[in-house]
Amino acid sequence: MAAPALLSLIERSGLSTWIRETDSLFGFYFILLFHNIGLALAVGSSVFVGLRLLGVAPELPVEPLKRFFIIMWAGAWISAVSGVFLLIAYPTKALTNPVFYIKLTLVGIGVWIMIRIEHVVFGDTDLSEAVKMAKGKSLAGWSFVVWVSAITAGRLLAYTFRYLVYGHPG
Amino acid sequence: MQFQVNFAHLHLLLNHIPVIGTIIGVCLFLLSFVGNNDDLRRSSLILFAVVALLTFPTFVSGFGAQANLIGQPGVSDTLMERHEGAAMLSFWFLEVTGALALAGLWQFHRSSRPARWNVLAVLLFSLVTVVLMARTGNTGGDIRHPEVWASQEAPLTEGAVGSILHFFEPAPEKFIHAMIFSKWETAFLMDLHFLGLALIVGTVGALDIRIMGFAKQLPIAPLHKFVPWALAGLAINAVTGMLVLIGMPVYYTFDAAFWLKMLALMLLGLNAAAFYLTDAFSRVEQVRAGEDASTSAKLLAASSLCLWFAVIILGRYIQSLQETIK
Repeated sequence: MAAPALLSLIERSGLSTWIRETDSLFGFYFILLFHNIGLALAVGSSVFVGLRLLGVAPELPVEPLKRFFIIMWAGAWISAVSGVFLLIAYPTKALTNPVFYIKLTLVGIGVWIMIRIEHVVFGDTDLSEAVKMAKGKSLAGWSFVVWVSAITAGRLLAYTFRYLVYGHPG
Repeated sequence: MQFQVNFAHLHLLLNHIPVIGTIIGVCLFLLSFVGNNDDLRRSSLILFAVVALLTFPTFVSGFGAQANLIGQPGVSDTLMERHEGAAMLSFWFLEVTGALALAGLWQFHRSSRPARWNVLAVLLFSLVTVVLMARTGNTGGDIRHPEVWASQEAPLTEGAVGSILHFFEPAPEKFIHAMIFSKWETAFLMDLHFLGLALIVGTVGALDIRIMGFAKQLPIAPLHKFVPWALAGLAINAVTGMLVLIGMPVYYTFDAAFWLKMLALMLLGLNAAAFYLTDAFSRVEQVRAGEDASTSAKLLAASSLCLWFAVIILGRYIQSLQETIK
């Protein structure tokens, strides 16, 4: 099946139409809300752990910060699942926009850095605080850069799409 | 779903707070220099912060009042626009005063008194704000109170001071046009708004959940050092949020989700006051690794977390609840 026909097929499905067109408060904006909350949890926790690794509040022990990865992962999964529903609602809008692929790439890099910090900094409990900090500093810096870029790309999706739905220019 | 709100009434109810609040604040601040009274200085800083917070709904209610009055006999659009420009200028000066007051309160906490630069900056900005607020009050009164006019005609001519101040006042129409015609400006501001939110959620959220009992191996006092980052996030969001609002006032003013978000922010201010102005904060700061915070502190932390999530939820629904207020 050709790609445009597939996009049209998804858009005409019951689920896609309902998310887009329902007047219910639990439609599109409800899913978008979860996407935002997930992102706020994932990025917010990354910012908190990152700031500590960059030297803020040196009296705060680093090791217990490992528990914040539970929140980061919960946020990342909430964003991913809600993101799939948003994609089902507007597949043409997202998949015909190059910025969408940039955003996905940046999110992938952001999650990869998150995994690296989890393993390199918090994977070995025998490491001293100073070694943890040294290993985590540049990763934390890159994490900021990548998350800021990913959020910016996500924000730009609302302003750069060419088609809202199949056959209808935005 | 439609709600009826009389914005003119609401604006009249709220607009005395910034005018009178800043005058009282400046008087207390000046009095604090007599005998270097720290209690009085701290009180005036708290008052500036509270007034700065309450000025948000005051300012926004003005847009609704303007919409109610446009086209009514005896109401001059030019006078309303002049008042709007004066309000925009005084609003930003008051918000800077409020931000400086919060910085001063932080310095009181860290080193028992504010830095010299902070005292001078608060003094300068609060004095200018009093003048600008007086001008805002006067131009607002001119709109609907012909009994205070010097002549029979609407007071469109400015005095010497009025002319100087008017030179610095923004033209609301120009700003609105700039926002409407540049979607990239709005995109940039909204992007910063989310980044500010992530900064707040990450830092205040971490403090809140630790107080509630999560990651108990963390001592609370060093966690509190992340609060300036949250304040930076709050400043980013206050500036970006208000710039977008000034650019699209009708979009936000008649939206129930926006006003509920505003209410949640006011309640967060109240919650922060209950935390910092009672003994909850001083007791929480003593909580070491592995220890539990008091029940009252846990309740305040839980309400802070709930209110921040309410702010996120209501912010997200602004787009879909337009024109829900008449």
